[in-house]
Amino acid sequence: MQIIEFIAPKKTAGLIVALLCAATTSLRAQTDKPQTPADTLTPQVEEEDYSQYDNVGFAAEGAKRYCSPKIEGLSPAKLISLGYDYQMGYNIKADTFRRAGGFPAIMPDSANVLTSNGMRFGCNIPVISRTNLVWQMGANYWEQRYKFEDPGALKSPLLTSLSEYGLRTMGINTTLFKPLDDVKFLLFQGSADLSGDYQFGKFMPLKYTKYSAALIYGKRTSEKKQWGVGLARTYRVGELNYIPIIFYNSTDVANKWGTEILFPARAHVRRTINSRNMLFAGYELEGQSYRLWRSNDQTGFNLRNEDAEIRRGEIRLRAVYEFSLKDFIWMSIQAGYRINARYDVDRLSGGKEIYRAFGLASDAPYVMVNPLTNPLYFNISINLVSP
Amino acid sequence: MLLVLVAGVLTAFVQQNPEADRLMGVWEPSNGRARVKIEKIGAKYYGKFVWLKEPIDPATGQPKTDKNNPDPSMKNVPLKGYRMLKDFVYKGNNEWADGTIYDPLNGSTYSCTIKMTNANTLDIRGYIGVSALGRTDIWKRMVVK
Repeated sequence: MQIIEFIAPKKTAGLIVALLCAATTSLRAQTDKPQTPADTLTPQVEEEDYSQYDNVGFAAEGAKRYCSPKIEGLSPAKLISLGYDYQMGYNIKADTFRRAGGFPAIMPDSANVLTSNGMRFGCNIPVISRTNLVWQMGANYWEQRYKFEDPGALKSPLLTSLSEYGLRTMGINTTLFKPLDDVKFLLFQGSADLSGDYQFGKFMPLKYTKYSAALIYGKRTSEKKQWGVGLARTYRVGELNYIPIIFYNSTDVANKWGTEILFPARAHVRRTINSRNMLFAGYELEGQSYRLWRSNDQTGFNLRNEDAEIRRGEIRLRAVYEFSLKDFIWMSIQAGYRINARYDVDRLSGGKEIYRAFGLASDAPYVMVNPLTNPLYFNISINLVSP
Repeated sequence: MLLVLVAGVLTAFVQQNPEADRLMGVWEPSNGRARVKIEKIGAKYYGKFVWLKEPIDPATGQPKTDKNNPDPSMKNVPLKGYRMLKDFVYKGNNEWADGTIYDPLNGSTYSCTIKMTNANTLDIRGYIGVSALGRTDIWKRMVVK
């Protein structure tokens, strides 16, 4: 829940697992040396007059201070994350599929999903991490598999595709934090995600990649507060939108309560039990636009010819517990309620996105409007956190 | 007698290494929240907090202590005077390594290397396991004005 995970949903493999293990192993050595009073205070410390350090200045002319990307009390940034997401049962009503080219429509269908679940993997590795510039590159992989109550009875090609292939998102992202001085900063994040019903052996063309970005101008007004405003291009509610964003992180005087907000993408209240145990309550908007790419084996219907994409957006009301398992290895456990905002299908117009701007720019109808009931969900992840 | 002489010569050699001793002095991290005095003890270099921008803990009204240390016996140790850089050894080429840096904000200790980019500037890199998983901060030398 740090400053750098913004627009694209965090979502990637063996090398990273190896890095995680290597880091864990080597950390043990460095952190099993507890600092003891004898280590930290020497006899001369008690005698030293610290007031002599009040009136000192930079030795070099022109030295400049820069604000940090973090504030006191903020939850630690995740360098590597491996998780599993599990939604309990719900119902999905697949709308009539109005086909292109005057072909007969496919009748609606309704089915119960017993569970939908999948692995979530992400990493954010610092490329440049200096006082005056932080640049990170990341990769992610999310999957969502659908287990239907009676998969053999499914008639809608949308549902059979979900049952057979599920949905995947794979992408890369980059984050730049540029402090302008000791208070002001700029923050940029961009991501490129390939989302659809593809499988690794039957990959989807890269031309279906979706690009998201955000730029924030902010101020770190104290050690315990930072805020910012900006603009984002996002698919968080499924379809493309350009929206203003507000960024606000704070921690109270006693370091017990705080907020971690990137509105409207997410907002959480933080309760710090201690620096290695934190509770959060709030919400996150999750979503993406998924290309329907696979031919459907069960119905013989070729979704690829329909130039169609699922606009998936959901609100996750949740409680999260994050804690240190051992040093820099943290675990995150969350439970909540998944509220469907949109699971509709758009047909692109000659390959072009339909930009609706919440109905202001276009009122083009979706080719399928698919209501989902709302289940409880759970998510667990293990994370290597940043210094 | 010979041993004493050899020890004396070695000690003198260890204690007088002008190139390595350039690290000694008072330094300020980029955020300006603290000042750290780096000293030499034996052949190694150590740094302790000597100045804090906010020395009083607003929650208690008392001088800040190492309250985030996972070791309960350390939580009441004053931060001022706290040795947060430890065990650095000069490796040549303006670099000190094999040390650790302690972050009192989260009670974590990281592997650390120090690179002197010029006489008044240090690149302090704390990292987890491998250097790639880390963060570099720039520290500036402070002098009495």
